[in-house]
Amino acid sequence: MDSGVAFKRRLYMPRTSMTTEGNRTGSWRFLRPRYEEKTSPCSAACPVGEDIPRVEMLVTQGAFKEAWETILLENPLPGVCGRVCFHPCEGKCNRKDFDTPVAIHTLERFLSDTAFRNETKPVLPRRPPTGKRVAVVGSGPAGLSAAWFLTILGYECDVLEAMEEAGGLLRWGIPEYRLPRSELQREIGRIVDEGVRIHTGERVKKERFEELRTRYDALLLGCGLWKNRPLGISGEDVPGVEDGLTFLRRVRGGERPAVGGVNAIIGGGNTAVDVARSVVRLGGEAVIVYRRRREDMPAFFEEIEGALEEGVEIKELLAPSSIAARNGGLVLTLRRMMIEGKDKDGRGRIVPAGTETLSLEVARVFVATGADTAETWHLPPAGNDKTIRLSRCLLSFEEGVPVAYVGDLAGGDLNVTAAIASGKEAVMALDSYFKGGCGTILEDLSSCRVGDGTSLSMEIYLGGARKARSRHVVTYEEINTDYFSFEPRITQPRLLPDERRLSFDEIEMKLSAGTAMREAGRCFNCGICNGCDNCWLYCPDVAVIRQRRSGERLIDYNYCKGCGLCVVECPRNAMALEEEGGS
Amino acid sequence: MKRVVEGSQAVAEAVRLAKVQVISAYPITPQTHIVEILADYVSQGRMKARFLRVESEHSCMAALIGAQSMGVRTFTATSSQGLALMHELLHWASGARLPIVMAEVNRALAPGWNIWSDQSDSLSQRDTGWMQFYCEDSQEVLDTTLFAYRLAETVYLPAMVVLDAFFLSHTYEPVDIPSQEDVDRFLPPYEPAFQLDTKHPYALSPLVTPNAYMEMRHEMSAAMEDVLGLYDGLEEEMFRAFGRRYGMVEAIECRDARVVFVTSGTVTSTARIFLKKLRERGEKVGVLKVKLFRPFPTEEVRRALAGVPKVVVVDRNCSFGLGGIFAQEIRAALCNVPGERRVYGYIAGLGGRDITEELLEEIYGEVTEGKGPERENIWKGLQEVSHGGR
Repeated sequence: MDSGVAFKRRLYMPRTSMTTEGNRTGSWRFLRPRYEEKTSPCSAACPVGEDIPRVEMLVTQGAFKEAWETILLENPLPGVCGRVCFHPCEGKCNRKDFDTPVAIHTLERFLSDTAFRNETKPVLPRRPPTGKRVAVVGSGPAGLSAAWFLTILGYECDVLEAMEEAGGLLRWGIPEYRLPRSELQREIGRIVDEGVRIHTGERVKKERFEELRTRYDALLLGCGLWKNRPLGISGEDVPGVEDGLTFLRRVRGGERPAVGGVNAIIGGGNTAVDVARSVVRLGGEAVIVYRRRREDMPAFFEEIEGALEEGVEIKELLAPSSIAARNGGLVLTLRRMMIEGKDKDGRGRIVPAGTETLSLEVARVFVATGADTAETWHLPPAGNDKTIRLSRCLLSFEEGVPVAYVGDLAGGDLNVTAAIASGKEAVMALDSYFKGGCGTILEDLSSCRVGDGTSLSMEIYLGGARKARSRHVVTYEEINTDYFSFEPRITQPRLLPDERRLSFDEIEMKLSAGTAMREAGRCFNCGICNGCDNCWLYCPDVAVIRQRRSGERLIDYNYCKGCGLCVVECPRNAMALEEEGGS
Repeated sequence: MKRVVEGSQAVAEAVRLAKVQVISAYPITPQTHIVEILADYVSQGRMKARFLRVESEHSCMAALIGAQSMGVRTFTATSSQGLALMHELLHWASGARLPIVMAEVNRALAPGWNIWSDQSDSLSQRDTGWMQFYCEDSQEVLDTTLFAYRLAETVYLPAMVVLDAFFLSHTYEPVDIPSQEDVDRFLPPYEPAFQLDTKHPYALSPLVTPNAYMEMRHEMSAAMEDVLGLYDGLEEEMFRAFGRRYGMVEAIECRDARVVFVTSGTVTSTARIFLKKLRERGEKVGVLKVKLFRPFPTEEVRRALAGVPKVVVVDRNCSFGLGGIFAQEIRAALCNVPGERRVYGYIAGLGGRDITEELLEEIYGEVTEGKGPERENIWKGLQEVSHGGR
């Protein structure tokens, strides 16, 4: 530089090496933020109370094993539920108010598929052996669930199954195209690996049951509803009229009954739809005849949609009044019904629409209007001072050892997930009974509730981290949606309707890990901390401390001045802000 | 090399040539083009700089204070409300003696919402300790930006290069863009007087008691005085590098003038044409262009206006309750100087209204007729407005 001007004036600039930590800005605080995990609406809606926001967080991280184990702690059958659950979780997903719900159901199935493909062995918390033995009658979803949780809680468990293979309704009632046998066997195999003994071909009659009372510390009865409920009309016993459950059991047993021509299926539940779709696969035509309207059918929405795609016809507002044999076929006489007002369930009340009848000429009639207990002693005793009725099961202390009536026997919701929840609830109740007697059951179970409903958490029961969560169910308004962008929901890959009609192959196909992770990334993770560190990033006082080893976040109240930025910027409402000195 | 460029680009080219290391800005019309061009340069790798996106002008200045404290050269550009939002940190930047350079595109303050030229924004920051240069054309903008870095880094005070909205920022003119070698010769790398060091942590600007505060302020004041002493020498260097110089003020035909128009910014160009015409008619008129506003070149103004009986100050701004701000500065400069003179403050061209030759002639007519106007502060070019409605 050929500078002619070289000028520097001395500069006085005060500086200090003293730490500014002496300025305890925390003394200014009148609002106090804290980490407070809350309950997600999906997990509160899940009958078994799965920790869905955590599961999706783990899937996003690629921690598939941990995600799967998180489910297993609440539900031993994710491979089953990932296929047949009616997923009320998705109906409550906060993301539905943003774009579309997260495909929770599909992701559950993905985790099960992945665990089995990798032959993953789950590592779950287990209580030490209690020395007590429990017998479970029936290996359906309720019985399997009970056996699993009994084992986790340190009970020795024998499952007695009448049929030659375990699974109950899962094995003998739900068609192969919804739940392949191989998948069910893997799930049951894993339960057996945990130490559960399943004795198949062991039909428990009343006398045997009485004997079991003397050999076990508690009994669970979960043998389901297998006796078809008759229609109570004339001609019900003519050849060609069959009950739906028996038909499904025959098909799942490997038979391929001839179903040529038109088959009428009476009923509107899942059994009716399962029968209809099986008939289609066997080469018959299926017409579902239902006395109410399509929207009143108790069958799951997706099942009805699938049936229609496959060519099943649904005739609404028709009640059967008689069946008669004619010309080698059957004539089904139907009465036209109409809706008048509402019944006590809120469904439309049906009444006959005049006296008009119509006839339907069919080859076969399947009755699928409901089922009852196979034996009267399967029915739980009427409520008295020696019984405790819980949300999804009934405990009886009438004759010596406690007996729990679980699954469909306990009444209430008749579906697989409810049955699993029933088995879990009964096990928690029995464990509570063994520890503190009858008086502690209600309180112990109430403390394990997920959110404000009836779902219970085994992780909370075992005193796990989930216990610290607030029961407040996070609303959509409480999510800071600035941190999320619209993302399309994945579409579950499925066989085409034409392909489905040809075989009992599973309809829903597998998902890739990348797709699953992307879908899980759509989850808001309502109410739980996923370590996004917005709190840490935004804190103007550097008062959020990250514990490197544990991953925990703490607030240094010496410096937190209570501005509340962390709480506002938390995308998922995993923090709370309270007035200092408040309640 | 001469190129036809927009005024905004003249600034950007200067910043590129100055090898600025950290740029931060928040968009605001009419400044945005400047940082858009710079953002492109950074993303294309034509500048080895970091461009910090921020959520406000306040954060922008805070970011630059932090960056400059680490010993790097920085730049920002803003206008109007954006500059007003920076106000608190403008004081901090100067008090911390950080030679940050800013392009300030003069724009009116709201309401009424107005994006056009008006000096009220930069003049509102008169007392923040920033140097201010008012430029007349794009060439001057480019040269002054480079000059501002040299001067600011010599005295450790921040500097604002001020240019009129649209008249300058959005107008294309031929501009000579110097070579990198010439710029490097004129503008050496920034040498901080002090800088933060993460290896040896300390904090700057802690609590300062009455024992030391006043001395710090006095040093700032002395640094401003140093500018006046250093200015011509540095311009001489710039002249050797680029072949151009401008002066703190430029006195055009003031020596024998009976009336001198004091102008700043682009109005000066209009006044040059007006002056030529009137001189052809034999009128004894002159123009004094004030480029350096802070520090104020009192001596240069006094010298240029010595013996001039009538001074007209054209202000594109207003200090409400007193009048045009340049007018007050000129009056203050002429105070304590013997001699008889009148200083008329004319306010014109607010919010982007054009100041034409005709308007200047009208003013000339007013001040030369008889004894001149009664009032010392006059609004020029007002129109009838309808006060209809409520």
